[in-house]
Amino acid sequence: MKSAENKPLFVTGKVLENRNINGDYFEIVIEAPDIARNARPGQFVMLSRWNINNLFLKRPFSFYQIDAEQGRFAILYKKIGKGTEILSQSKKADQVELIGSCGNGFSLPENVGKIALVARGIGVATLLPLAIEGKKKGLEIYSFLSAREKNLLLGPDKLGPLSSHIFYTTDDDWKGTDGKVTFFLEELLKNNRTDFEAVYVCGSKRLARHIRELQKEYHFAAYISLEERMGCGIGACKGCVINTIYGYQRVCKEGPVFPLEEVILNE
Amino acid sequence: MNNKVDLSINLGNLQLKNPVMPASGTFDIRDTILNKEQLNSLGAIITKSIASHKRLGNPGPRIWETEAGMMNAVGIPAEGFEYFKENILPLLEDFCVPIIVSMVGDSITDFCQLAKKLDNFEKISALEINLSCPNLNDGLYFGTNKDVLGDLIYQLKKNTGKVVMAKLSPNVTDITEMALTAEEAGADIIIIANTFLGMAIDSEKLIPRLGNKVGGISGPGIRPIIVRMIWEASQRVKIPIVGVGGITSTRDALEMFLAGASAVQVGSANFSNPYVMLNIIEGIAGYLNKKKYKSVKDIVGLIK
Ligand SMILES: Cc1cc2nc3c(=O)[nH]c(=O)nc-3n(C[C@H](O)[C@H](O)[C@H](O)COP(=O)(O)OP(=O)(O)OC[C@H]3O[C@@H](n4cnc5c(N)ncnc54)[C@H](O)[C@@H]3O)c2cc1C
Ligand SMILES: Cc1cc2nc3c(=O)[nH]c(=O)nc-3n(C[C@H](O)[C@H](O)[C@H](O)COP(=O)(O)O)c2cc1C
Ligand code: FES
Repeated sequence: MKSAENKPLFVTGKVLENRNINGDYFEIVIEAPDIARNARPGQFVMLSRWNINNLFLKRPFSFYQIDAEQGRFAILYKKIGKGTEILSQSKKADQVELIGSCGNGFSLPENVGKIALVARGIGVATLLPLAIEGKKKGLEIYSFLSAREKNLLLGPDKLGPLSSHIFYTTDDDWKGTDGKVTFFLEELLKNNRTDFEAVYVCGSKRLARHIRELQKEYHFAAYISLEERMGCGIGACKGCVINTIYGYQRVCKEGPVFPLEEVILNE
Repeated sequence: MNNKVDLSINLGNLQLKNPVMPASGTFDIRDTILNKEQLNSLGAIITKSIASHKRLGNPGPRIWETEAGMMNAVGIPAEGFEYFKENILPLLEDFCVPIIVSMVGDSITDFCQLAKKLDNFEKISALEINLSCPNLNDGLYFGTNKDVLGDLIYQLKKNTGKVVMAKLSPNVTDITEMALTAEEAGADIIIIANTFLGMAIDSEKLIPRLGNKVGGISGPGIRPIIVRMIWEASQRVKIPIVGVGGITSTRDALEMFLAGASAVQVGSANFSNPYVMLNIIEGIAGYLNKKKYKSVKDIVGLIK
C-alpha cells in the first residue's frame, strides 16, 4: 500500500474555473502541470488563496479529478469556514499557492474484480479519481453514497456512469436501511454472496465502523481515507496524527489512506 | 550586487554563514521540500527535539489556527536516541552547514546522559536545550523555574563539550532573569523563545480544541512580545541571543536583529511558505545593501 510517492513540490497554480455546484459546494479547476503530472487518486494538495497574515495555514484538499496531460486538476469543496469562504470567491486566472502532491494515495487490487466505494458527503471527492482509474483497469464498481439531504448527494452524475451499481441513502430518507448506506453492502455480501476485492471508504467514521464489522466476517481488503487538521501537509510538524494499532501516524504522510483494520476508530 | 554584504555571524564558537535557520519541530530533514543545495544555503540545520527514549507525543487534535498564527500540542513525539543515531544522524552527514540537535529530558540526569551520548558525534555542532518541558522529579518546568534552569545548564556543561544553546520559555514574568541565570550557569547562546501557553475551546461541542487541552502559541501574534523580550535581555546579557517567534518575512527578522538578536530561527511560517527562510536570507542581504551596511553584525542591537 505504501508505495514511494514523489516528493511534494511548492508551486503557484492558476485558477481555470470555479463554480458553485449546489448550496455550499463548489468545484474549482486549477492548472499546475508539475503537480497534476504526479498526482494519484487519494492524494491531496495544501492550498492557499490568501496571504500568511490573513490566514496562517494552508488547507488540505483531495484531488477530485486529475488531468495529467492537460496539467490540471479539480477540487470539490464545501464552504465551511474562513479559508473555503475565500476560496469560493476565486475567479478565472487567480493564482493559488500549492504544496503537492501530498500523502499516500489509494492502490487498486491486483486482481480484476469488483470494488466498492463508500462515501458520505464531500467524501465522494476523494473517491472519484479512484473510480476513474478502477474503470480504466476494468474493475466493476459498486458505489454507495450517503448525505444529509437528497439535494446534497454529490457525485451521482459523475460516479453513476462509472458504476455498475449505485446505492444511496439520505438522513431524511433511509429506505429501511437504518440510516446506513453500508446496509446495502451488507445485503450484497450476505444474500448475494458478492465478492469484493476491496472496499474504500471516505467521509464517515460511522460507516467505516460498519464496514470494519463486515470485513471481520467477509474478509475483504478495506481502506479508509482520513482527515485531520494540518500544519505543514508534508510530514514535518507531526500535527496531524490519528491513532492506529501501530501508534500515532501522520495523516499527511503515512496516510491519508490507511488499511481500515489498522485504524482505531472508536473516538 | 547582494554578494558584497557579509551575512556571516559568530555565535560564540558557532560560526554561521548567515543568521537564518529553522526552529526545532517545524522542520524535518526527512520531510522537507527544500533540496540539498537550498538546505546548504541555510545558516544551520536543527532537528526536532530528541529524547533519550521513545516518546509518543499528545493525542490529536494537535493543531489549531489562531487569528494571528497557530497553537500546537504536538508534545515531543520522539523515537529516542538509538533511532536518531541510526536513522536521522546519517542523513545529516551530507550537509556542510552546522548541525544543531535539539533535546528534551525528563530530569537533569536524563538530559545529561543524552548530552553525553551526543557529545561523541563530531558532526553535531551544538546542543539546543528545549526548556519547555516539565522536570518529572518535581513537576516544575525547566524553563520557568530559575533554580532548576540554572542547575540543568550547569550540569549539562559538565557533560558535553558542544556549544550549549538554552532555548528559554517565554512563560515567565522576567525573561532577563532567566537569560542571566542561563548565562551564569555556562550557556553559550540564549534562544528567545519557545511558544506561549494558550488554550482554545469549541463552544459548540463544549470541548477544548486541542487533544492536550492546552498548547503553544506561535506565529505573528507573539512576535511583538518576543521582540520586547530580546530587547530587554540584550541590555543585560553578554552571550549571543537567537530570536524566534512569529517571523514570516525579512522585515520581521530585521526587527529581531535590531532588538539585539545575532541570529533568527523561523518556525511555523515554513508550513505556509516552505521557501520563507531562503527569501529572508536574500531579503536581509538586500536590506543591508540598501542601507549601506557592510555586515549583518552592524545592525545587531542598534535599538538601545
Ligand atoms: C487530506 C484531506 C483532504 C481533504 N479534502 C477535502 C476536499 O476534497 N473537499 C473539502 O471540501 N474538504 C476537504 N478536506 C477538509 C478541508 O481541509 C477543510 O474543510 C478546510 O480546511 C476548512 O477550512 P476553512 O478555513 O474553510 O475552515 P476553518 O475556518 O478552518 O474551520 C471552520 C470550521 O470547520 C471545522 N473544520 C475545519 N477543518 C475540518 C476538518 N478537516 N474536519 C472537520 N472539521 C473541520 C473547524 O473545526 C471549524 O469549526 C480535506 C481535509 C484533509 C485533511
Ligand atoms: C508544530 C510545532 C512543533 C514544535 N516542536 C518543537 C520542539 O520539538 N522543540 C522546540 O524546542 N520547539 C518546538 N516548537 C517551537 C518552535 O521551535 C518555535 O520556538 C515556535 O514555534 C515560535 O516560532 P514561530 O512563531 O516562528 O513558529 C514547535 C513549534 C511548532 C509550531
Ligand atoms: S500536517 Fe504536518 S505532519 Fe502532517
